[in-house]
Amino acid sequence: MVLSLIILYVLTLIYLSIADRFRNHTTILAIQGLLLFGIAMARLHAFHPVELSFIIVETLVFKAIAIPAILMHIINKTKINRIHSASTQFGALVMSILALIASCAITYYMADNRTDMIFFGVALYALLSGLILIVLRKRIFAHLVGFLVIENGVFLFSMAIGVELPMLINLAIMLDILISILILGMFLRRMDNDMHTDESDALTSIKD
Amino acid sequence: MAMLIYIIVSLVLAVAPLLVRTERASNIVSSLFFLVQVASIALIFILGLHDSVMLSIFRADSMAILFHILMTAVLGFALLHSSSYLHAEKVTTRSYKAYYTLLMLLAVAITCVYYSDNVAMTWVFLEATTICSAGIIYHREFEQSLEATWKYIFVCSTGIAMAYLGILLLSTVAEHGALDYASLKAVIESGNPLYLKVAFLLIVVGYSCKMEIFPLYTVGVDANYAAPAPASAFISTALVNAGFVSIMRIYTLYASAAEVFVWARHVLILIGVLSLAVGAMFLRRTNNYKRFLSYSTVENMGIVAIGMGIGGVALWAAVFHVVCHTLVKSSMFFQVGIMRHVYDSYSINRIGNYMSINRVGAVGFILGTLVLLAFPPSPLFLSEIMIFSEIVSEGSWWLLVIMLLLMCVVIYSIWSRTLRLGYHSSQDEIHLSAVNRRLSYSAAVLLAIAIVLGLWQPEVLKSAIDQIINLN
Repeated sequence: MVLSLIILYVLTLIYLSIADRFRNHTTILAIQGLLLFGIAMARLHAFHPVELSFIIVETLVFKAIAIPAILMHIINKTKINRIHSASTQFGALVMSILALIASCAITYYMADNRTDMIFFGVALYALLSGLILIVLRKRIFAHLVGFLVIENGVFLFSMAIGVELPMLINLAIMLDILISILILGMFLRRMDNDMHTDESDALTSIKD
Repeated sequence: MAMLIYIIVSLVLAVAPLLVRTERASNIVSSLFFLVQVASIALIFILGLHDSVMLSIFRADSMAILFHILMTAVLGFALLHSSSYLHAEKVTTRSYKAYYTLLMLLAVAITCVYYSDNVAMTWVFLEATTICSAGIIYHREFEQSLEATWKYIFVCSTGIAMAYLGILLLSTVAEHGALDYASLKAVIESGNPLYLKVAFLLIVVGYSCKMEIFPLYTVGVDANYAAPAPASAFISTALVNAGFVSIMRIYTLYASAAEVFVWARHVLILIGVLSLAVGAMFLRRTNNYKRFLSYSTVENMGIVAIGMGIGGVALWAAVFHVVCHTLVKSSMFFQVGIMRHVYDSYSINRIGNYMSINRVGAVGFILGTLVLLAFPPSPLFLSEIMIFSEIVSEGSWWLLVIMLLLMCVVIYSIWSRTLRLGYHSSQDEIHLSAVNRRLSYSAAVLLAIAIVLGLWQPEVLKSAIDQIINLN
């Protein structure tokens, strides 16, 4: 069960590298939220109401519903549609596959007996996919998507190494990330309004 | 309980300007906020709370108290200068109140970073500083401040996400999820060395955006450039110190993992040298006094990172360097804020002849520069000599040569620009505004304290630094 969810998660990352519409990016993030919910539920050892509620809030409410809704709102307000890629879709796919291979190699080298190798590898792949998205894409919205992919990778990573942080800390971390996304979204819209741009190439007025 | 009361009172006062009507009321609230900071520090001593754990995630150790005192000192002057700066800028009352709220919220978040005794909560509060800083950076609401704000939030959030990854790797050694520094220190040696190394790298890289060192220093420079000058003084010192405290706590933690600690110190030396190089390079290139001071922060934090990497006496010197840098750099940012009011510009090539326009401000800036360049009796002279002597005693001559070469570039760049400001005539027609000499005098107070520290270090400060660098 978990393995099939993980494979689906990897497929969403590969698809994300070639998707060229921002609505598709948002849908993929929502699907990733659902998959993370499934994975977290499957790994739940025992029934703890508080832990279960937190997983539901963090994955279903936050990652699968709230964040995609914020992104859709930004898309509708700014009327951005497609990515303007600095590389071809094929190039992005090749980079993504190379990242997958690199993740496997690093996992093989790094993971010890306390670590779930599959989770570790996929988390690393998610992190690299996020970074690739930020580096290859010109549009700022794609950078926001890249940041969220990295955040999802971090979530998987915490499951890979089996770390269970206290609830208060988890809650604080989740709130921090949510506020960051809200503020990033707000400033993205402001850039669209004030600077009439949503491309990173336009952000070069501050220099020495 | 004391910490909870402090946080609640501070937060209430921080949001109070949004609820009051006038700018005068905002000033009164901010003064009360400042008094709460002073009272909270006094209460730590009166109630004997030193080294006590509060709310199970905070500890009032020497490092927290020392940096809280420094932050409060800078905050007092920042609040004073902000009022004058905002009136000169003719901002709306709404904007005025929002600025004070954000500055005070930032102060609360920074204080929580200082006192945090939990590796994950340190991360949470550092991320909170990003959110509070963003509003201040955008306060001037021009195109470049929007760009700086976007870059700041995005790079800090991504960088701090990387740091979180490091914290997760580090927490693999934790027993029963105990992430307080003392518990982690007790078990860190049993951790996987490879995990610990990667964790250290990720955490230092992530927190570098706050400490303004290589590689993520750029966002801090842009933030200081875009923010109002009094806020830049606060960001470039109190927030930078928050980054330093966070890295210093990780450093102290790693001291118990002998094998990895050696590697971690080498990483800090490399980061320090690269920061120093970047600072030296951009100090030559930049044409803006605020960016100029920000690159000087990068350079000074590079020296601090090298001191941490060398260890021993150099570690003591690194902490002392941070303390004195806070006083000097904030003083210089305040002077630059006054200068901007006079010239309506930060342009290095455009403005000059400051000595005949505002003698107090010009003398304050030139003296500040001399102290920053570590000319005796600068306290930075002491710290740098101590770092150099430790480098020599370690036999790392190559490091000494690189540092001295880079510092020559720094001295030339800073001194030539300071002389231009003081004595060269302005390049084109400038409509000067009236000078507020009282503000220039007040900014010089911090500089005077720094010079006194260069001549005489109080026993209480020495003992506080001794406790901070105690790695056992």
